[in-house]
Amino acid sequence: MTSASTSAVAAAAALFASTAFAQDKVTFEYWYGLSGQLGDVVQQTCDRFNASQDQYEIVCIGQDGYANAVQNSIAAFRAKQHPTVVQAYDAGTADLMMSGEFYPVHQMMADFGIEINWDDYFPGIANYYASSKGQLFSMPFNSSTPMLYINKEHYAAAGLEAFPATWEQFEENLKALKAAGQECAYGYAPSTWIDLEQFSMAHGVPIATNNNGYDGLDSEYVYNTTIHVKHMENIKLWYDENLLEIRTSQGGLNARDSFAQGECSHYFGSIASHQAVTNLVDGTFDWDVTMIPVYEGTERKNTVVGGASLWVLSGKSDEEYRGAAEYLKFLATPESEEFWSTNTGYIPVTKTGFDTLVSKGFYENAPYKGRELALESLTYTEPGPLTRGIRLGGFIQARSEWSNEIQAALQGEKTMQDALDTAVERSNAILSKFARTYRGKELP
Amino acid sequence: MRRAYFKNNWIAALVVAPQLLIIFVFFYWPSSQALYWAFTLEQPWGGGNEWVGFENFVFLLSDDRYWQSVRVSVIYALATTALAMGMALILALFADRQLRGYKSFRIGLIWPYAVAAPAIGLAFRFIFNPSAGVASYLNYAFPDIWNPVMNGSHAMSMVIIAGAWKQVSYSFIFFLAGLQSIPRSLTEAAAMDGARPMRRMMDIQLPLLTPTFFFLLVINITDSFTDSFGIVDTMTSGGPARATNLMVYKIYEDGFRGLDYSGAAAQSIILMILVIALTFVQFRYVERRVHYT
Amino acid sequence: MIERTPWLNLVTHLILFTGLFILVVPIYLVIVAASQTLPDVMAIPAKLLPGDQLIVNIRAAWEEAQFGTKFTNTLILATGVVVGKIVIAALTAFGIVFFNHRLRMPIFWMVFITLMLPLEVRIVPTYAVAANALSPFQTILDIVGISWIINAVSGIEVALEWNLLNSYTGLIMPLVATATGTFLYRQFFLTIPDELVEAAKMDGAGPLRFLWDILIPLSRTNMAALATIMFVVGWNQYLWPLLIITDPNYGVAAVELSRLVPNMNTTGGDIPNWHWAMAGTLIVMLPPVAVVIFMQRWFVRGLINTDK
Repeated sequence: MTSASTSAVAAAAALFASTAFAQDKVTFEYWYGLSGQLGDVVQQTCDRFNASQDQYEIVCIGQDGYANAVQNSIAAFRAKQHPTVVQAYDAGTADLMMSGEFYPVHQMMADFGIEINWDDYFPGIANYYASSKGQLFSMPFNSSTPMLYINKEHYAAAGLEAFPATWEQFEENLKALKAAGQECAYGYAPSTWIDLEQFSMAHGVPIATNNNGYDGLDSEYVYNTTIHVKHMENIKLWYDENLLEIRTSQGGLNARDSFAQGECSHYFGSIASHQAVTNLVDGTFDWDVTMIPVYEGTERKNTVVGGASLWVLSGKSDEEYRGAAEYLKFLATPESEEFWSTNTGYIPVTKTGFDTLVSKGFYENAPYKGRELALESLTYTEPGPLTRGIRLGGFIQARSEWSNEIQAALQGEKTMQDALDTAVERSNAILSKFARTYRGKELP
Repeated sequence: MRRAYFKNNWIAALVVAPQLLIIFVFFYWPSSQALYWAFTLEQPWGGGNEWVGFENFVFLLSDDRYWQSVRVSVIYALATTALAMGMALILALFADRQLRGYKSFRIGLIWPYAVAAPAIGLAFRFIFNPSAGVASYLNYAFPDIWNPVMNGSHAMSMVIIAGAWKQVSYSFIFFLAGLQSIPRSLTEAAAMDGARPMRRMMDIQLPLLTPTFFFLLVINITDSFTDSFGIVDTMTSGGPARATNLMVYKIYEDGFRGLDYSGAAAQSIILMILVIALTFVQFRYVERRVHYT
Repeated sequence: MIERTPWLNLVTHLILFTGLFILVVPIYLVIVAASQTLPDVMAIPAKLLPGDQLIVNIRAAWEEAQFGTKFTNTLILATGVVVGKIVIAALTAFGIVFFNHRLRMPIFWMVFITLMLPLEVRIVPTYAVAANALSPFQTILDIVGISWIINAVSGIEVALEWNLLNSYTGLIMPLVATATGTFLYRQFFLTIPDELVEAAKMDGAGPLRFLWDILIPLSRTNMAALATIMFVVGWNQYLWPLLIITDPNYGVAAVELSRLVPNMNTTGGDIPNWHWAMAGTLIVMLPPVAVVIFMQRWFVRGLINTDK
């Protein structure tokens, strides 16, 4: 835009402003799940949006956690008191899709004549939230993918240099660290998101039939038959050999904080933690991140997005939708993406947003250096049928089945194979119940 | 029981009306809607439901995981109630002797009640933390003797202790209030007859305390079934391997986090029946031993 | 009572000290954590002595959570719950203990059952009621056909609506509804000797006079205990306010506090500002602790009922 037209717009805006002042601003609500420092940054995006124009006022309300945000929105929706926009987490995607009670963002933007270059979104992110025709239902927002965090000083002390690209190498490194007297080589907490979902993506193996549920509601879990079993058996083995230590917040320090305290040499976590780890380590030791390893002989595939996206709920007025559309458009600008990625560890969701940051040299220096690897991981290959994402109903419950069975296996109550078989069997019951609840409906 | 009554029943109707109105609107109406879901498969976003009769119940009752949850809930309820009431009763009896420093003791024993459940959960997580907390010193002396993160029974005892701790001050307040309202003349008379303090406790104070005792027993048992969510959520999230998956926590997890409204509603009904049955037993068999006047 | 019992006194003190120790240790640890820097809080092994950051942390927590208005709101909420509960519970218990009608036990059980289904479990439909507290009546009128009749006769569309979201009434009402207080009063009223009732009747006092002149003064100890308990319950409310309050002007302390506590379930993870969270816990604890300390004086024998 030339400076002349900018000032023309500014003048027009000023004119509008005086009339807009006379009438009330259109107010609409947005409920978000992020809390703490991340929640503060969400609030700041709202303030920035409100300051950027004077027609709409977005009221942003923190709901203290993803689960609360979804659950409270449902309660409010049933009483017709729901917000216009809600931040819903990845695992709740299938339930929201089946409800049909939302305004697809793709549709909304088209209806309000707002141009968005949908191809600009990274496919590993967009596919997760898209219809079977590839149109986005919800707006990708806070996006992450898992990384391996490594304490470089521990590596140096154990004479290690190269970061592990394969799990075999990773195991060697654990042994080397242990031999060098490192107490906690790998701070581990069972995580479906990393150990099952992203692991299966990176290895290109299915989690469930029907291409992980994308092709129909009659899916079944199959992860008890894939390389995932071998991996979990290795985890158990490493646990028995003291190569890894369980670190959960229930036990005090969780895996991330154990890493950030310099106790554990490795930990697997979301790239979104990059900012938190930076702040916690505070320069006391040298560390870096790398992509999650794959097993030898596997062709590495892309990982998929984690985090949450923004859904526009049905039953609101056109005015409010217009406001919501403006807000989503505002979030999609490179400036907003830069603001978001600088103040949190989340990654940009569009190629333009990413390129802008790269061209500014954002990723060249600490503390942001390394975050570009998350995008490399997300875009490692074009997403195929097995690496688009997961679309399985009742997934939150299925995650908890997996975690509980893994805990039982780690306690030595049963073998890993038994544990995974049980988890699959019980999760399949959840799936068939889900399919029955929505009998006669199809995934959009 | 009571023999003297007032006759004006319209006044009775008037005085009970406010509470009945409020519980109708805020309890019975919404609960009945939730309970209806138990017999259907309800779509969480309200898109409709399908009547399935007792299918949700059949599924639950044939699920060993559900029975395991019932089992740990009963253990939790009995253990926390016994621990909390036992400790509170002993403390109240001795505090009531009103020796020197009594006032400070009384304040010290009562004020922990003001602490919110999540804060207690966090503090106890810190105490029982196997690697960093106070318990780590124990592990230092005897390696692997305490690990609530991996050991189900350790986790369970940790949750029980925190749950009991939460209830001690509550029970203490009522026991003390009960003891204070025992006419002083009674104990004084007994003292003049030569009854020693311990004897007076056993013969006079304890029997007169039975209405309070009964009140606390019912409240504590009910509470430990229905009000354990905060502690489990902050301390163990129901783990490890479901060892502390108490019924209320499971309902909340399955229903409102996992969006299985129907399954959760069926579980709620069973929970209600269980607690009502327990309360009924207490009223039927325990209240008969209560001396009211 | 003047008697010398040195051994028993020693045992008494020992027992009380042990109890005090057990009860106070967790809170001591909260204070310790609230007075340290973040690295100290996270240090292994745990540091068990307080640091010097208490004021700094409290100030940070206060600013972070903007406790000013929240405290006023929470105070209104807690006071409302206390007053509402005491009045309603005393009335109901009076109605079911001192009158001889067949509905005594059914009413008691109806009230009592409300203890058995916690809010966590029925949160979704309860929200719907809070959005329109008159909706049950509307539905009943619709089903029975009265709305249709009124509409036909007068032409007025019956649409009852009373939205309690974002209001003090909405915060207080559902909490007043539960049974603890009624049960407590029932237990106490049952201990009132029949002779008192007879005497009152003999003097020609009606039931309300009896309630006001005899029962209320007698139940002051219980009332103090109930008020204390309900104040704390009201003050520590979390799930219900979180749900029905979306306007920050009505926010309450416990919800604000939980925003300080790091949420481990969020994928990105947060910086665990435990030192602030614990300092916040201390601040939020203060008002109920003050109430407890103030109120507990009323449990003391002699201050009331000196004649007993």
